[in-house]
Amino acid sequence: MTNTVLMRLNRITKTYHMGEVTVNALKETTLDVYRGEILVILGPSGSGKSTLLNIMGGMDLPTTGEVFFENRNLGMANDNQLTSYRRNEIGFVFQFYNLIPDLTARENVELAADLVDEPLAVTGVLRDVDLADRMDHFPSQMSGGEQQRVSIARAAVKNPRLLLCDEPTGALDYQTGKLILALLVKINRDRGSTVVIVTHNTPIGDMAHRVIRMRDGTIAEIRENASPLPPERIEW
Amino acid sequence: MSALHKKLWRTIGKTREQFIAVVAVVTVGIAVYIAMTTAYFNLNESKEKFYRDHNFADYYFHVVKAPQQVTKQIETIPGVTRVTGRIQKDVTLVNDHNKRATARLTSYSLPIEQEINSLQLLTGRFFAEEAMAARPGEQYTRNGDIEILVDPQYAEANQLNFNDTVTIVAEGKMVPLTMVGTATGPEFIYLMKDAATLLPDPRSFGIIAMSLERAQQLLNLPGQVNQVLVTLAPGTDAEKVAEQVKSILEPYGNLAAYPRKQQLSNAMLEGELDSLKSSSRFMPAIFLGIAAAIQFVILGRMVRSQHLQIGVMKALGYNNRQVILHYTCYSVLVALCGAVLGTLLGLALASVMSRAYAVYFNLPATIGAVNIQAILYGFILSLGVSTLAGLTACRSVTAINPAESMRPEPPKGGGKTLVENLSWLWRRLDTAWKMSIRSAARNRGRFAITMMGVVFAVGMLVVSLFTIDAVDYMIESHFHQNQRYDYLIRFTSPVKENELLNITRVAGVNKAEPLLEIPVKIKFNGKNEDDSITGLNPGSTLKKLRDPREQPVEIPEAGLLISQRTAERLGAKVGDTVEVETLLGTGPARHAPVKIVGINKQLVGGGSFVSLEQANLILQERQLVSGVMLKVDPAFAAQLKEELEDMTAVSSILSRRQELDNFNQNMDSMVYSISIMVIFALLLGFAIVYNSSVISFSERQRELASLRVLGFTVKEVSGILLKENLLQSLLGVALGLPSGYLMVKGYISAVSTDLFTMPAIIYPTTYIYSALGGFFFIMVAHLLAVRGVRQLQLVEVLKNKD
Ligand SMILES: Nc1ncnc2c1ncn2[C@@H]1O[C@H](COP(=O)(O)OP(=O)(O)OP(=O)(O)O)[C@@H](O)[C@H]1O
Ligand SMILES: [Mg+2]
Repeated sequence: MTNTVLMRLNRITKTYHMGEVTVNALKETTLDVYRGEILVILGPSGSGKSTLLNIMGGMDLPTTGEVFFENRNLGMANDNQLTSYRRNEIGFVFQFYNLIPDLTARENVELAADLVDEPLAVTGVLRDVDLADRMDHFPSQMSGGEQQRVSIARAAVKNPRLLLCDEPTGALDYQTGKLILALLVKINRDRGSTVVIVTHNTPIGDMAHRVIRMRDGTIAEIRENASPLPPERIEW
Repeated sequence: MSALHKKLWRTIGKTREQFIAVVAVVTVGIAVYIAMTTAYFNLNESKEKFYRDHNFADYYFHVVKAPQQVTKQIETIPGVTRVTGRIQKDVTLVNDHNKRATARLTSYSLPIEQEINSLQLLTGRFFAEEAMAARPGEQYTRNGDIEILVDPQYAEANQLNFNDTVTIVAEGKMVPLTMVGTATGPEFIYLMKDAATLLPDPRSFGIIAMSLERAQQLLNLPGQVNQVLVTLAPGTDAEKVAEQVKSILEPYGNLAAYPRKQQLSNAMLEGELDSLKSSSRFMPAIFLGIAAAIQFVILGRMVRSQHLQIGVMKALGYNNRQVILHYTCYSVLVALCGAVLGTLLGLALASVMSRAYAVYFNLPATIGAVNIQAILYGFILSLGVSTLAGLTACRSVTAINPAESMRPEPPKGGGKTLVENLSWLWRRLDTAWKMSIRSAARNRGRFAITMMGVVFAVGMLVVSLFTIDAVDYMIESHFHQNQRYDYLIRFTSPVKENELLNITRVAGVNKAEPLLEIPVKIKFNGKNEDDSITGLNPGSTLKKLRDPREQPVEIPEAGLLISQRTAERLGAKVGDTVEVETLLGTGPARHAPVKIVGINKQLVGGGSFVSLEQANLILQERQLVSGVMLKVDPAFAAQLKEELEDMTAVSSILSRRQELDNFNQNMDSMVYSISIMVIFALLLGFAIVYNSSVISFSERQRELASLRVLGFTVKEVSGILLKENLLQSLLGVALGLPSGYLMVKGYISAVSTDLFTMPAIIYPTTYIYSALGGFFFIMVAHLLAVRGVRQLQLVEVLKNKD
């Protein structure tokens, strides 16, 4: 794997002001994300993992510092530019799925497919996540694992260059969690999407090319993983 | 303050726009209720008091002429409490600029307090005879003038002041009278010449009051009267007494007899009171009903979204009653704020309405009392409705089980919606539409309530704007299509047709068509109705008639074109033969059978028509005419009018121009009340759409935020909400238009009186404007409600499951 930089976070900080109190969610943090890698971000609760991921996804702007996606400066982007960035480059998978309750599985995926010029085939993606026979079911008729698979399909259908997942297995049991991770690896392998996974579950780091450990709003350690394990073989 | 109260305040603070919107609807409901009830109460009270203080007559009898003493005989009839004999006659009044108007000369005997329909002096003093009675020995009048009082509206319209001279034509002579004040009486509250007049026109019609002696001298009726008024003891059978009075008056030529109910001013006033009463119930009911519906939706949503909190409260040990009361407090606060603001606004509106009534009605007693009872009822109504809505919305609280409520909301039903079964349509819909339709199907209750609100609001717009159409239509059909003459000249007494030559020869007269008007009683099948018959030449072009289906009808050579109203009252139809009895004040009464050959419909008043020849036949006369219609060359109009005014044989000149001006002037005041109605309707529509949009927005924040994360723009997300909004609103508008039509029908039947029916005419533009008004409030409400999309905190909303 050649290490070309897809995204560069340069000395970013994020500060929240709540009245008198100031929370430094992110202290000066610098990180390069490489094209095609699987990056796992580990760390205890409150260490700034989600904050970092949200900034990568264009959902939030850093207080200071620069964010480059290729050579686009997201730090200077306005709301429209951020929206188009999310629309065209990013796929998001949430801990609580956040499917549209009024749309069926297929329609939820179509909703995302409609946003981009060259989406993947909706049914194909759903088949990839093994939901071919549940396509016309509503979220309320599906289990959590199934909903998360729809959510992954929804993110993948746009064929995004960067797939961001915040605690994708957080609400799922062990077996289902592994299945979801396997899907993410598959997308990384087949489509070449860069995948960033946030979790507080240390063993999941074993499937990554690189593992970042966060503490107190900053990166405490970056570890390269010469031979990532397939998710099926991870134990936790 | 308890923690629970703090929670309530925070909830209201956080959703204050919603709170304000419901309060506004309650405010309007209460304001309309208080304004209308107060106006009704005040108008009715003033009327009752005025009638009581001035001995308003229970029955009226008109005769050709009868000796004054006949009243003594009538007094002896059991049940009769008071009898007044008087002279009342319409005379021609010649104004300063030689213009003509009609004055209803009415006589009064002394002492005035004893009189039925006695006068209330408003300015100046009574005529000298009254002053003399009070201070005997004083000079009879100053320099022998005949002193009179006139009604205040005529005095104002013609700028008459104390000591001004008013000239009338009596017995063919010009007689100057001296105006010494203004006065009104209970029969002159709504002052119109007759039922065929559209609206009061104080410039052309007024009341002149003078002493009985003076009237007898002036009209050459020594010792005579031509009207007898009676009041009756409570519980008396009026019709029985009337028969006895009529038989006493028989030798003196009975012309007309009618009860209080049919007295024109009273009938108009009662009509207004009736419609005020029904709208004072109808209008607030709509607003309070919608307000209740909105509160129901808001509270229902609050309870649902605070499912978990309620569970926690219960787990802590709060009981159902406490929790329900907590939520109901919200609607009680709405009710209180609405009632207080509504009362203030209502009192202001009531005084505006009272001032408007003062323009139309000659009521001396001040109208403007604050109706405590209405305010009290307003509060009770507002609180009652809100509390009920609150309690109903919160009933589900009891079903919440603390343990269960800790779990996330139960999955929503995923059944197929109706549209989904129409697969060809469903396949063509884009995903956003699918979301909107399913969300509407899931929230059927809210969907229905919002839609109903829009239906009512749009319906109200239709009703408000319809009044303009109706008036416009009446102007068009009355002044432009049916009444084509420029002037209608009436003579003091009928003349031979060939005498018209000196009028038709006046320069500028393009066309002249004669007419003969006869006041009549039409009898059929034991029933009888007062009416007037107008004889016109068949083929007349200056007056057009229409049948009940609005099609033009021609004057028949023979037979009667009966007025729709008279025909309905008598139960007579085409082909029947009715008996016509003439009621002219002079000459013997004639009786003639006439066959009904057609029916004519007039928007205002009545009036039956025959050919000029048939009219003469009824009178057993030849070639008699009582007036003439003129079409004139506009260039000569002013000069021509002056020449006509100079002719002593002319009793009145009706100018179409002037009538139209008067009409338009009156309509200007209508615009005011229409604007208020329109504003209220828009407010109603706005409030309901706004509330339901805000709720739907807040319920779906998470969903909408995830769309934003997927890459949807603010516009696209608002578009999804707009689609959902449009779905219910478009249906509401579509249903609102026909409902508006039904509401117009209801409105017409509420305001219709015996004398006046509004045509159910709604122009297409009214529907278009109402629909546009609907879109307007929907869009404004929508845009305000979705402001939040821009501020959606993506990170916040998605952080954790609520
Ligand atoms: N909107 C906010 N206002 C104030 N403080 C915030 C806000 N969002 C996050 N924080 C704070 O920033 C810090 C980092 O939060 P972040 O959500 O990134 O943590 P995390 O590593 O994702 O934790 P977890 O594993 O629990 O999800 C925390 O201390 C948090 O309290
Ligand atoms: Mg987190």
